[in-house]
Amino acid sequence: MNRSRKLLIVILLGTSVAALFLAWRNITSPTDFADLKTVLTTTTATFGSLLGIITAGLMFTHGKFSELASELGEKSPDYLSGTLSLEKVQTIGNNLLALRKTFSLLETQTTVEEEKNLYRRVVEKASSMYVDFAVLSDLKLIQQGLAETDLMISGMDPQLYVNYKKERNQVKKEWHILVTIRQMVDTWEGSKTLVLEKYQKRTSLQQDLRNSISLLGLKERLDKNSKHVRAETEEICNELAEDIGKIGKQLHQDRIPQLLSQMENANTIRGKYFYLALAFIATPLFINLLILPQLSIGTATFFQPIISITSSLSVMGIAFLLLYINRILNV
Amino acid sequence: MSRVKKTVEEQMRTLLTKYTYPPVEVVIPILEKAGRGEEELASQLHEMDMSVLSGIMKILNLKEKNMRTVSKMFGVLLSYYGQKYEPAELSENRFCLSVSDCPMLHVGKNVNTAVKSKFCDVFCSSTAKAMAQLVLGPNSSCSWDKALIKGGRKCTVAFELVKTK
Repeated sequence: MNRSRKLLIVILLGTSVAALFLAWRNITSPTDFADLKTVLTTTTATFGSLLGIITAGLMFTHGKFSELASELGEKSPDYLSGTLSLEKVQTIGNNLLALRKTFSLLETQTTVEEEKNLYRRVVEKASSMYVDFAVLSDLKLIQQGLAETDLMISGMDPQLYVNYKKERNQVKKEWHILVTIRQMVDTWEGSKTLVLEKYQKRTSLQQDLRNSISLLGLKERLDKNSKHVRAETEEICNELAEDIGKIGKQLHQDRIPQLLSQMENANTIRGKYFYLALAFIATPLFINLLILPQLSIGTATFFQPIISITSSLSVMGIAFLLLYINRILNV
Repeated sequence: MSRVKKTVEEQMRTLLTKYTYPPVEVVIPILEKAGRGEEELASQLHEMDMSVLSGIMKILNLKEKNMRTVSKMFGVLLSYYGQKYEPAELSENRFCLSVSDCPMLHVGKNVNTAVKSKFCDVFCSSTAKAMAQLVLGPNSSCSWDKALIKGGRKCTVAFELVKTK
């Protein structure tokens, strides 16, 4: 758990405790009718003002998101038409299928759990990349107005096909193509963004393959029969490194991973702002439409706990807002 | 200036990607189960160490055969693998560094300390042997205290030149 998340939790807990304490104090102390009416009106006004600021934040994050989406949307067709030729996509696809087949077999042949895990990781990552390439191949055919072929789909087993359909359905906008390309490059070379914890936990396919080749080299010294497997794997690994290396280089030159990461942040904050705005719209409406018109001394006593909590919530709202302003400035 | 630097970095990356060491956490269980293969592993490691270290010397144009060269080579090697290290001593006859992480620490918990210690010797002696062959010559020695395997915080590796009369 990172530091900012811990801080956020501490602040929220602190504010919640303060809000509940204030609510409890107000409930236990006698409050007259006029005071309650003033509290409700002030709370409504506070929520209204905060809603204005939240809406501005929502618009700002949405603006930033749209700006990034448009920038990435302009870049994505170049990748399909230039960087990824049909021939290259199919060569890479064939290499990934060959890896999948070889390592599935190796996985069944070993009884050592650690070795099995290494080969399983290769199979999983090669499958994931194959799915990405099948999606890109399909999009490329659409872009070029060519008839769809099931060339890459025919090499899939049912599970891989399910993954392919799922992945394909996720690509709805032009910039989503870049998400697929980044995902594929990240699987191959490991994420190069500064999320060190994640990076250390997950090895890249290239690293797993190099480790496997080295391991197969050792096994080759022990058993001469495995020689062809290592040589073939090494050849495929080198070809993939060259092909995907070029795509990755282009991606990093265009700063696509950074732009996508900024976009993901903007999208997350936009979503939070949206729900926050909903809460801040609903609360004054609830007060104005349901409580205030019916406020008599009798109902005032009945609604007293709710009124105390909503007025304390407006204090919490300010704390939330300050945190989000801090986050938005760092997008 | 930056272009030259980038070329060196690229060369280094290519070299160290080409020669990947077999993953310790996988190799040890395999060899333990097979009950053989240590000699083959030592021979593979030595060949790789010779290629990697001579490659580093060539890329960095290190011609002097002294402790300073050893320290530079270790710096490059450990930095590439993201290993934290501290050079503790560097003199004409001695180079000493401490590392706070070791691949042996990432081997499965079911592997006992004696096995880890045995493979630590296989890996470290291979590098020490290659360093002696390429840089320091036959009158050198290398020691490692295996403190990390024993539960310590840092492991110390020391290269020394043995004085001849």
